[in-house]
Amino acid sequence: MRKYVPKDNVQGKSYYTDRYWVAPRVPRMEVEADSHFADVLKALGKLSKESYVEIGQLVVHIDATTNVEVMTVLKETCGYTQCSEQSAVDYLAKDGEFELFYQLLNITEAKRVRVVCRIKKGEAIESITSLYHSANFAEREMFDMFGIKVNNHPFLKRILMPDDWEGHPLLKTYPMIGDEFASWYEVDKIFGKEYRDVIGPENRDPARIDRYDTKRFSRVGYEVPFDADISDGEKEQAIEYSETLLVDYTTSSKTLDERR
Amino acid sequence: MAQHQVNYASAAGLPIALTSVDKLVNWGRSNSLWPLTYGLACCAIEMMASGGARYDFDRMGTIFRASPRQADVMILAGTLSKKHAEFARRLYDQMTEPKWVISMGSCANTGGMFNTYATVQGVDRIIPVDIYLPGCAPRPETLQYALMMLQKKIRRESANMNNNTKQNLRLV
Amino acid sequence: MQQPNKLTPFFENLNFERDDNTMVINFGPQHPSAHGQLRLVLELDGEQVVKAYPDIGYLHRGIEKMAENMTYNEFLPTTDRLDYIASTSNNYAYALAVEKLLGIEAPRRAQVIRTMLLEINRVISHLFFIATHALDVGAMSVFLYAFREREFAMDLMEDYCGARLTHSSVRIGGVPLDLPNEWINKMIAFCDKVDYEVEHTYNALLQENRIWKMRLEDVGVISAEDALSWGCTGPMLRGSGVNWDIRKEEPYELYGELDFDIPTSDRCDSYGRYRLYMEEMNQSTRILRQLVPMYKESEPQLMAHAPQYISAPKEEIMTQNYALMQHFVLVTQGMRPPKGEVYVPTESPKGELGFYIKSEGEPYAYRLKCRAPSFFHTGLLQKLLVGTYIADVVTIIGTTNIVFGEVDR
Repeated sequence: MRKYVPKDNVQGKSYYTDRYWVAPRVPRMEVEADSHFADVLKALGKLSKESYVEIGQLVVHIDATTNVEVMTVLKETCGYTQCSEQSAVDYLAKDGEFELFYQLLNITEAKRVRVVCRIKKGEAIESITSLYHSANFAEREMFDMFGIKVNNHPFLKRILMPDDWEGHPLLKTYPMIGDEFASWYEVDKIFGKEYRDVIGPENRDPARIDRYDTKRFSRVGYEVPFDADISDGEKEQAIEYSETLLVDYTTSSKTLDERR
Repeated sequence: MAQHQVNYASAAGLPIALTSVDKLVNWGRSNSLWPLTYGLACCAIEMMASGGARYDFDRMGTIFRASPRQADVMILAGTLSKKHAEFARRLYDQMTEPKWVISMGSCANTGGMFNTYATVQGVDRIIPVDIYLPGCAPRPETLQYALMMLQKKIRRESANMNNNTKQNLRLV
Repeated sequence: MQQPNKLTPFFENLNFERDDNTMVINFGPQHPSAHGQLRLVLELDGEQVVKAYPDIGYLHRGIEKMAENMTYNEFLPTTDRLDYIASTSNNYAYALAVEKLLGIEAPRRAQVIRTMLLEINRVISHLFFIATHALDVGAMSVFLYAFREREFAMDLMEDYCGARLTHSSVRIGGVPLDLPNEWINKMIAFCDKVDYEVEHTYNALLQENRIWKMRLEDVGVISAEDALSWGCTGPMLRGSGVNWDIRKEEPYELYGELDFDIPTSDRCDSYGRYRLYMEEMNQSTRILRQLVPMYKESEPQLMAHAPQYISAPKEEIMTQNYALMQHFVLVTQGMRPPKGEVYVPTESPKGELGFYIKSEGEPYAYRLKCRAPSFFHTGLLQKLLVGTYIADVVTIIGTTNIVFGEVDR
């Protein structure tokens, strides 16, 4: 039977996890221990749903609809003048939500705050470009990588991937080596679809050896002239190969089991 | 009156003269290889270092050109992403014949460590490559060796590019 | 009008037939002074840039996706390829983020070696900056001189870790090797050399050079508010008069104990930033000299002792059974950090390089975001280029010192 692979999360998994393994959690501190962070929390008031200090930085969970309001308070009142980073984490498989985070920096106090909010799939978030220009590129990248729409963004367009790309690469449903569209993208674009047969599929196996390719691979045991055609028969050779070991992994997925 | 029996214009009649022309032309071609600075990623820094003070490519007649119209060799140094692939092909098409391609570094050869959705798995999928240069990133000495190998290859070839087997390998 | 098709595509460089009589110029993605694969679409009115649109992503390699499919130790060599001019600063930023997540600290000697490597990488990166910047502006000889000195720094790195460009010289929890014999003396000789060359070659060639000053002064002016708002860090921010250096303000490694200055410039232009880079090289050599006695005083331990996450030293693995078992588990399965998220900023030569890691307690990071300084500096170009002349465009790209490995990731 083919092994079950969940489609909603194709991220790499550990091949073995102890059944009694419970991951510990990074310790979270009380906000009151730091006077500056306590002031920030006071200024935010009811806007913050949950807050704690994790590894020296204040983490504030907010409602996604109030993000511009929160950023305005943080920028105008608390002196967080720079938005260092803004991106998202994909929790669609687990909760059906994206987690968005904004990493803010106060350079006079040398403090950092991470504002975290969650949105459902298909929902849009309000842009904070009017407050922090650095969010311009960051939100475009988030749109490109996750497909999260940003309202009132000046120029929401793909930034890293080409404009005609299909899929959003950092979603957990997107495989690392890409889908069918991605694997033929450059061939379709340059030569056209009809050249797919001429060029052939991508080689994704870094250890692949073509037995009859005398151009790229040299032979063990005897020598073959460069670029000679040996497809219809080979000379006697000193070293014997076991045919069962030479499996074409690119075409078949269950050959690994047959080897055993 | 005896006629001159050798017809120099026929197909097989020019062995001596053509070999000399081949040698002369290939001598010229191989000793002034002007690469196109096709720096894509990390390998481009090593390519610049080869043009720098210690490795000094100019002594081999190799001067980096910025325009494909002036270049003979395309040194594809670094990861070629799928977004960039069509531009690489376009610049290759813009180069004048005769032209050669060196694929520098593992990423350009096979995709290397970037076995992901965004990288072309080997530039030979889109342009024909003459020399593959392993390493991540290859040292400038490696690039120098590759260039010397290419010179050897050019000297071995026929001056008329249509006679060379490589022509048949060209994709389009 | 030319009919575009797949093999003879649209001739898009020049577009004259526009109603408003501006010209659209396509700059890149393969341009010798684009510092990699930057594509700029510039709209020109005469010689002045009316609108600039940086198009990036031509070196997007999916490094963040790779991080989600690799164990923490496997991913470390990939970070070399982010900012490939100063690889160790990326290795270090990533290793520090994971260490903060694990709650471990590298031993003293490892910290000294890391700080040395970071500062050598800063010198390498700044030498590269001055080489390419001067080359773009038109001073070819500076390129040759700067690459000459850079080769000595590369030799130092090669002596330490064996690689010229992609170092991978920092491990999670420490460093893999102690310094080789005579390395310290070579490093001091290198410091003397850099100090001498900065004063007698680069500054002598450029600082009062009339052409250099004409090309750089009052070009690429950015105010402090704009710099903060556009997410500028590092020399771009300090060049606008903001005294912000993470090494000083949020000290990591040994920077809290070291004595060095943070040069700032109020000029806000390219020339001020060039002066800043030169001054920072002097500060780096000053730090390197202070580290020599610290190295000699430190204990020879190189990796942190945390058997749950980090393999024991080789002698223990070879002699003790339990250490071998743990090493096997850590190599085959990878370490499992606690659940949680961390964002660790470090001062890379280009600016604030930070890694955000979201861990779900698995050997694979659930999400890794690399906060690259160059990404935001590229975003700044759409503001900075407007109103400048076409000849200043390469100067401004040069002064932002962007590297496309980390812009596109």
